[in-house]
Amino acid sequence: MSGPNQVIRLMSSDSVEIPVERVVAERSILIKNMLEDIGDSALTDPIPIPNVNEAVLRKVLDWCTHHKGDPPASVDDDSDSRKKTTDIEEWDQKFMQVDQEMLFEIILAANYLDIKALLDVGCKTVANMIKGKSPEEIRRTFNIQNDFTPEEEDQIRRENEWAEE
Amino acid sequence: MPASTQPAAYGEAARKPNVLAPLQETELVTSKPVLPAEIISTILDFLSAPDLLRFARVSKRMKEMVYDDTRWVQMLQSMNCWSETEARKRFEDAMRRKYEAQKSKGKAANLADVTTGAPNSVDGARKTSVTLFDASEEEQRLKEPVKSVIGMISQNGSVIDGIGTMNLAPGTPTRDSTSPQPATAMLTVLKTVRSIRGFARHEFGRVYGTLAPLYFDLARSRNHNDPAVFRIFREPEHQAQMLAQLKIFARSDIYQGWQNREEKLDAMMGIFENAVLREFEQAYEAGDIDGKMRRFAHVLVILNGGQAGVDLFIHKHPIMFEKLKLGDPMDCINKAPTGSISLEPSHEFFSRLSAAINEQSSVIDRVFPQTVDVFLPFLERIGEDVISEYVTPLLDESHERNIESYLKAVAGIFEQCFRFGRSLKPAIGSGSLFHKDVNRILARVFEPHVDLFLQEELDFFKKKSDAEVSGWERKIHDQDAATESFFMSNINRQADKRDFLSSFKKVVMLPVNALPNIPISSPFSTNKPTALAPPNTNGTSLEIPSGSSQIPTRPATPTLDAISSLPGTRSPSPAPAPTTELAAKAAIMNTKLKGIRSLFSIEVALDLIHTAKSSIERVALFVGLDDQTGEEAKEQCQTIFVLLLQTLGSRHIKSGFDKAVDHLSAYNPREADEHDQLGVAPLVMFLELVNVGDLILQMVDVFFEQELVAKKLTDRNDFLDPSVKEKKRFEQMLDERVAAGLNKGIDVLMAEVDYICATMQKPSDFNPEASGNPDNRTFDIGPSQTAKQIVEVVSSHTKMLIGSTDKNMLDVFNQEVGLRLFTALCKHLKRQRISVDGSITLIRQVNCLPRSL
Repeated sequence: MSGPNQVIRLMSSDSVEIPVERVVAERSILIKNMLEDIGDSALTDPIPIPNVNEAVLRKVLDWCTHHKGDPPASVDDDSDSRKKTTDIEEWDQKFMQVDQEMLFEIILAANYLDIKALLDVGCKTVANMIKGKSPEEIRRTFNIQNDFTPEEEDQIRRENEWAEE
Repeated sequence: MPASTQPAAYGEAARKPNVLAPLQETELVTSKPVLPAEIISTILDFLSAPDLLRFARVSKRMKEMVYDDTRWVQMLQSMNCWSETEARKRFEDAMRRKYEAQKSKGKAANLADVTTGAPNSVDGARKTSVTLFDASEEEQRLKEPVKSVIGMISQNGSVIDGIGTMNLAPGTPTRDSTSPQPATAMLTVLKTVRSIRGFARHEFGRVYGTLAPLYFDLARSRNHNDPAVFRIFREPEHQAQMLAQLKIFARSDIYQGWQNREEKLDAMMGIFENAVLREFEQAYEAGDIDGKMRRFAHVLVILNGGQAGVDLFIHKHPIMFEKLKLGDPMDCINKAPTGSISLEPSHEFFSRLSAAINEQSSVIDRVFPQTVDVFLPFLERIGEDVISEYVTPLLDESHERNIESYLKAVAGIFEQCFRFGRSLKPAIGSGSLFHKDVNRILARVFEPHVDLFLQEELDFFKKKSDAEVSGWERKIHDQDAATESFFMSNINRQADKRDFLSSFKKVVMLPVNALPNIPISSPFSTNKPTALAPPNTNGTSLEIPSGSSQIPTRPATPTLDAISSLPGTRSPSPAPAPTTELAAKAAIMNTKLKGIRSLFSIEVALDLIHTAKSSIERVALFVGLDDQTGEEAKEQCQTIFVLLLQTLGSRHIKSGFDKAVDHLSAYNPREADEHDQLGVAPLVMFLELVNVGDLILQMVDVFFEQELVAKKLTDRNDFLDPSVKEKKRFEQMLDERVAAGLNKGIDVLMAEVDYICATMQKPSDFNPEASGNPDNRTFDIGPSQTAKQIVEVVSSHTKMLIGSTDKNMLDVFNQEVGLRLFTALCKHLKRQRISVDGSITLIRQVNCLPRSL
């Protein structure tokens, strides 16, 4: 029963079993390595994913299903891949249209499951949310408390005046 | 992004997965999930500088992450402006200064500052680290003049945080009014970036502040008049420099829309480059070398290395269009007598070309800056366009007309070509490997011809040697019936051989004058007696002329033929003297060896070796090429040598030996008609053959040493080498034949002895009484006629061998002869009836015999 189409089961943190094709699950380097380590017993027992709840896991697996045919990411050709990744493809943009909490959960899950492409998409989405906003707007968007005094903040601004357009 | 009210708690939660679920459940109300620092850092990677710095103002933790030095170092690195070694050196210097200052002041607190102030320590004490480096920065500011320039520029900007940053506000066009000083500083902004740890952000800020406004302005502009770059800077040099800087700066632009911006920049640069090129071309046509040409060449070099300018210069160069003036390749063929080729016109061609190019070399030096190597690409083009086009038709044409002249043409022109390469003077901008590169270029010109040449050379040699041998065979066949056995008297052979060999060596060595002094006696001649001492030599040597004068007409014709046929095959270079000397010697030798002419000829061997020599010499020219071609040429040399040995060995010598051995075995003393001669004709012939074989072997040996080993074409000690193997086989073959022949020879010799015994020994010799004629008893004290005859026959034959074969074999041969002679004599004596009186004769006879050995 081996082969790319074999089905394994993942167990989310809230104990829900989700069946998934092995190729899809192997977009996650974490799961891929795990399957290689434990061998055939993966076919009988569900694999626990203790950090990710059902909703997020399903969402992540959606992404994996859509991207299962992608060529495996070359390990790191950083400078070049950075150039390539500035824009987000359309499907991913739609995929990331979720509330902020879910977005962060996805990023965390992608980080935990070691899915580099998904992590990048998430980070880019967040970066796009930051782009062009004033500090105050950023604080509001991400619910961050301002711990600067007005003088301190002004000092930083003046330090970096060169970057103002 | 963190809800940073309780960062510690959430960080904890994120790191411990098993407790995450309960935590999330309990605190669901208050929080959003927290992103760990590494993820925030990844997110920041996607932000451009202005966004980053706005983000820094959000909170202290965010500022810390944005200000992280590595982030800015990376950006500088993307523009190749960051040198890690320089940074380390500066850091260590700063540390030392700090340490010294701190020691002198004895301020303990500083120590902490220094240690925590290390770069990349995000979690370190930020505030202190900033102040620490501010101090050192101020020190540096005093020292570095560059800094003061920047201070001047930032007159209307602000000096903040101890760093000179330029306030290049968005309204760039207004800076048209600023003095030229800031402009110069702007032009060199990328070069003045310093690699200081902890200051990457400031340095980047300086670059960004200078270049970003121009960059974005350019990206927005609609036509080539629009961009501020062209309005601020008027001089083409400055514009070029700025554009080059912007090109580098674009590499740090990795944010949304960078493709468009870069395209725009490239397009602008293209327009600019074209404009400059046009100017350059006009100046080129006007011949304004030191003025405009020089100026715009420099502009192009500043802009992007000047490749376009170099290409234009080479492409438009008049020499490319005037190549016919330099010489017509067909001259070489047309000016020479039919069927041959004259290399004089090509020589002229190359010297004219060399002069023209050396002139260009100085023009190039004047036009282009030294950093650009124009001369080499120029030569490459010359090689492709001029030399190739000269050489190729010439070679093709001569290939069609005559193979031999083709072979000579290839080798000759190849050599001329490289001499031409050596005559070139490198331009100032050329690297130290100039001549190597030139040779590479020239080698490429010949590349397409080499394979054909090597093949033709081999074929030519094969055909030539085949023709030589079979022509000779035919000639012999015609004469065979008429051939009588003459043989060289066994005198003076050593001296003749040495004489002959030394002149042979002279010829072989001639073209390679520079060879290390080779001892006159070659290694293989050492085991020979240094001189043939016996006094009787003189006496007998006089017989040679008389001996040969008995047959005055016949040897003359073939030798003359041979000599006249020689010059054609000989390599073109050797001076006539030794060659003719050698030819003369060969003729003498040939006369002397008349007897074995029917078997094989030393002359043919000589011819073959000459042909091989010229072939190998031509091919060896190509061995100097260091790539595959060189290897092939080397192999070809060895193949030619192998072929030489094969033709010489198996076709020529082997068949000669076989024939001689056949003669030997067919010999029956009883049927032979004349026995008054000194030897057994076939045996003598065979022994002469051994001598000649030895001579040829030595010739081959000398040839091998001189042509292959001395020129490093082959390694003598490499037993796998085909030529060495073939040579071994040749020697072996010779030895085998000699051994087989000697075997037969002993039989024949003994048969002759038996025959002499049987026919000449009168029964009365040992039994005088039986004759019944006591009056006749004159006691002859000397040995009998029979004994004398035997001694003479045996000794004359054994002597012939001295020095001609292996010493061991000679010993064995002599032993065998002695043994067999002894048995034969015993047998003979047993058959005789011996009386008391006759015993004295017997004793005399027996006494005399050992001397023969």
